[in-house]
Amino acid sequence: MRRGFPWARHAVLVLVSAVMLLPFYWVLKTAITDENIYAYPPRLTPLDPHLFNFVDVWYLIPFPRYLLNSVIVSALAVAGNVVLNALAGYALTRHFPAKRLVLLLLLSCMLIPFQATIIPAYLISARLGVLNTHLGLALPLLSTIVCIFIYKASFEAVPKSLIDAARIDGLSEWRIIATVLLPLSKPAIATNVILAFIWSWNSFMWPLIITRDAEMQTLPLGLARFLSYLEDTTGALYAFVVMVLLPGILVFLMAQKEFIRGLTSGATKG
Amino acid sequence: MSASWLRSRWVVVPGAILASTLAWNVYVAAHATGVIEGRVVDRSGRPVEGAIVTLFNRSFITNDPRQRTMTGPEGRFRFDGNDSHAVQLEAEVAGHRSERMTVRLWFRAQERRLETPLVLAGR
Repeated sequence: MRRGFPWARHAVLVLVSAVMLLPFYWVLKTAITDENIYAYPPRLTPLDPHLFNFVDVWYLIPFPRYLLNSVIVSALAVAGNVVLNALAGYALTRHFPAKRLVLLLLLSCMLIPFQATIIPAYLISARLGVLNTHLGLALPLLSTIVCIFIYKASFEAVPKSLIDAARIDGLSEWRIIATVLLPLSKPAIATNVILAFIWSWNSFMWPLIITRDAEMQTLPLGLARFLSYLEDTTGALYAFVVMVLLPGILVFLMAQKEFIRGLTSGATKG
Repeated sequence: MSASWLRSRWVVVPGAILASTLAWNVYVAAHATGVIEGRVVDRSGRPVEGAIVTLFNRSFITNDPRQRTMTGPEGRFRFDGNDSHAVQLEAEVAGHRSERMTVRLWFRAQERRLETPLVLAGR
């Protein structure tokens, strides 16, 4: 049984939440007013709120095109992560020669920052002929090692007898993954979806390097372009920020229960 | 067969967004006539005939003049074919000018009838 003062615990949590949400509130408040973010003295409540800054963003730059590019790239990244990571995760639950070496290699690859692999990634993309394409934008994000290990932990939690029974029933390895393991790994799938979506949605450096046309730019690049045009700190810029943030927040809210379960699965035994 | 998947938030939320987008686009298509109508009055509120009204379109950081029209007997003016989402209006007659009125629209070419008239200063 928990002891102490539950109200004190809740008060601290509310305070910490308020502090963490304050920057988001400030961005939202600036987006719905024409106030400057650095205005002094700062106002806590919005003055004459309106939504026309969002209309400005929609029309002053090719926002729908950026949005479409981001949606396509994120959809590719999510599909790639859900499928490819499941295959890799399942392979890592099986026994094969040099498995420990492969695991060690994967774990050590996580230590290499993406910036260090950009030149080889660019050269490979150029050789494949996918520069300045949606597939090229999504390519480095189609599989991520963290998400492979999330699948691996989830698959290892499935009783081995269930997989053996499926194999005795004549199911191929593909169908074991598709019809036995994946339906039992919804938290891992949700975690893959959220992480892949957020990483691809927020990706800036890779799209900056691989795109050549403004038509292929994604939302983070559009944001940088918008900032270079506008060079001020008033409503429209923050309206753009809100419009970039919203889909990620929506996907997270929709899958947060499974996401948290997926991240904590394998953390405890029994 | 159970249709419980239809009640899944992964179907309901994108479906609601899609339906709202479709409804909004239908509304926009029905109201994007590009017409802006209003009135020009003097300081005492009497309609001003023969005033030149200029419509400025907003680009990124500037407002460029796009159309001009003249007010009728009741001081009324009308612009057709506006294709912007943010415009400014200014009236002028015999050296007297009104303040520029900013009109922000919810979508490009939205039909709008202005409640507040343009007031000519100095008349």
